[in-house]
Amino acid sequence: MSSLTPAESEYVTLESSDGFQFVIHREVAMLSGTVKNMLSSPGHFTESMEGVIQFRDIKAIILEKVCKYWYYKARHLNSVTEIPHFEIEPEYALETLMAADFLDT
Amino acid sequence: MSRRNRGNAGTTYVNNVRGPTSALTSFLNERGIRRANPAPAPVATPPENEDDSDDDDDEEPASPQNQAASSSSSSSTPAPVTSSSRPTRTARLTRGRTLPSPSTSASRSNELDGVNDDSDSDDSDDDESDSDNKNLVPIAVSASMARAVRATRSRAVAVASSSSSSNASASTARAKAATAAASKKRPRKKDASDDSDDEDFHDITGHITRSNFSHKGRMPQGSNKIVFCSRCRARFTIKAGTTPAVDEDDGGLLCPTCAGTGSPGPSKSALPKAKPVKRARRKAQKAEIECHIPTLQDLCIQKIANSIEDVEAFGDISDISLDKICKIICRNRSLNAETLQLFLDARHSELILYDCTDITAIGLQNIAQFCPNLRSLKLKLCGRITNEVMDYYTEHLTKLASLTLIGPILILEQTYIKLFETVGERFEKFELKGSSRFSLKAIKALCDNCPNITHLRLGDCNLMDDEWLEPIAGLTKLKSLRIRNPEPDKLTTSAVVKLVQAVGSGLEELELKGCTGLTDEVLVDAIRPSCVRVERLNLSGCEELTTEGVETLFKDWSINSGLTYVNLENCVMLKDEALMAVTEHSGATLEGLNMSGMDEITKDALQTLTRCINLAELDASWCRAMDDDIMEQLVEAAPRLTKVTVWGDHRLTECCSSRKGLRIVGREGDYVDLRFL
Repeated sequence: MSSLTPAESEYVTLESSDGFQFVIHREVAMLSGTVKNMLSSPGHFTESMEGVIQFRDIKAIILEKVCKYWYYKARHLNSVTEIPHFEIEPEYALETLMAADFLDT
Repeated sequence: MSRRNRGNAGTTYVNNVRGPTSALTSFLNERGIRRANPAPAPVATPPENEDDSDDDDDEEPASPQNQAASSSSSSSTPAPVTSSSRPTRTARLTRGRTLPSPSTSASRSNELDGVNDDSDSDDSDDDESDSDNKNLVPIAVSASMARAVRATRSRAVAVASSSSSSNASASTARAKAATAAASKKRPRKKDASDDSDDEDFHDITGHITRSNFSHKGRMPQGSNKIVFCSRCRARFTIKAGTTPAVDEDDGGLLCPTCAGTGSPGPSKSALPKAKPVKRARRKAQKAEIECHIPTLQDLCIQKIANSIEDVEAFGDISDISLDKICKIICRNRSLNAETLQLFLDARHSELILYDCTDITAIGLQNIAQFCPNLRSLKLKLCGRITNEVMDYYTEHLTKLASLTLIGPILILEQTYIKLFETVGERFEKFELKGSSRFSLKAIKALCDNCPNITHLRLGDCNLMDDEWLEPIAGLTKLKSLRIRNPEPDKLTTSAVVKLVQAVGSGLEELELKGCTGLTDEVLVDAIRPSCVRVERLNLSGCEELTTEGVETLFKDWSINSGLTYVNLENCVMLKDEALMAVTEHSGATLEGLNMSGMDEITKDALQTLTRCINLAELDASWCRAMDDDIMEQLVEAAPRLTKVTVWGDHRLTECCSSRKGLRIVGREGDYVDLRFL
């Protein structure tokens, strides 16, 4: 990892309810309103100081889907070419919806 | 809209309407009249700074950023228009009184301009300076002021304070302006100490705001002072008599966290990063608006709507999740005939739809077709429900026992009557909100045909008047009665007293929200003797209730074993003794308390809140005596506390104690990022 303190590191860690950890770029994670607030609130919160967020309600599969969506969005944010469709499996659609609502993304 | 920068520095609203020295400003400068308190800055503000500021700057010199901004804006803003209109207003404002500061007066006058524009005051100058001011006071202000006037007082100042920028006094000014607006709506003379000291804020019409709120009072001298930590920039209180830690490097004060740990807080390096991060953030925001990538929520809902046929593909969904999903879909305004299918199932006995605006009449009828076994149906925002659909429900929902309709504007009196006659003794719960066609005949039909009603809730029914209360008094099995927002002056105290006396003994919940004309008689003659079983009491908006009335109700109210929920929001005349009587009577049982708007409460009364050991939710907005001390005591005393709402309690700082699981909503520092000033 870089030599920066966890609070400024380029990466953040998101932990799912079943213990999987997803290490993603901080900027990408900030596409979520909830994560943005958690990481940049002015108080001294563990999340903002250590760069680790635990989601006790979101399963790993769903969290992975959400991370994929964030990278999809970051990748195509400013593109002028045709943007491919982001596929969601129907089995996970409902849970992904609840997670997306919670994460404000 | 763009001018309203939430927390972004550099374009503070106040600065945008600054001009070069007005007649007033130079008048004040000549006499050396300065603002009473330094702006939020390190305590050691040398007074020489203030004298040094040249006459061209209208800003108070304490914060350097303001100085820079003002000097830049003073050259740009269209001056003559402002200065011509401003002296008239501020002159009126300062009738024989010292103004705290030029900038606050200017900002306040502009606030009041905006307010006056919206609240249709009878000031003659309104028209003449209307257009002028509208040029400078951007739409954001009048929109916000309009919002402020329309919304409740607490929400109004929440909007104002949440978007207020650097200037603490600007937010005070806005708060006062919003208070002035709201209090103008219900003009109220201060009962005591009308000849109060000079610092009292007088709004333009001369009424003293009820709250006796002044600049001096905001930052109390000699008692707890609110200052900034020089390291992490968090606000914290210095208790009177203690000395805070001092930073060795620059001599500034340190908050307990930085002083205690000794480690450099996170922000020393975060501060310089702030500007580039913000610029990048602003760029990203712009980009987001321009790009067309749908949100993940939209994608999911689309997927759900498309594959609605393969409902099995979704797997087993628990009822709780289904309700959550319904809320999410409604929040995204996507509940329509297709997505509705997700929630219709013959096995369901309960159905709640939070937003039926996009569901056509056919869709609503489908509800009865697909869910014939419904016992409980709740339809919110169901303006599209027609009489035919309602009749269909009446006929086909043979097990219906509980019906909630919010906003059914099309349903006629006859339809309701038919419903009540058919459902008859089955009917247990009926809630209706927002119908101007529900009439006396209908309520009579309800009470005649449905004697088993246990929950009755009527809100925003324009035709409601005293005559309605008679048949309701005949419902012997009533357990929960809610009457909300009747037309003002249509419900008299005596009629309500009779009603409560009749049904009170069975009531577990009584709500008379927004019944503004009710006086103490309701408390003393009706609730006290009759409501032995009541556990939830909501009298919010009953502004005429006095301290004596509440005291008489709660003192030695032995027949009632204790309330679990008390709501006295906006009962503005209540003082300390009222709160103390409540906590003494129901302290042990109280789980929810709403005392928002009781700003005459002092610290002594607030300390009695520690008696409420089972307290889970507290709303203490606008109780300005609330501060870190009391919060600490409260957090210790009430282990079950999960949510504290403190809009407008400026003495609460970020360093006040909290704990895991406790949400503090409405702290000023949470919404105004004071680091980036």
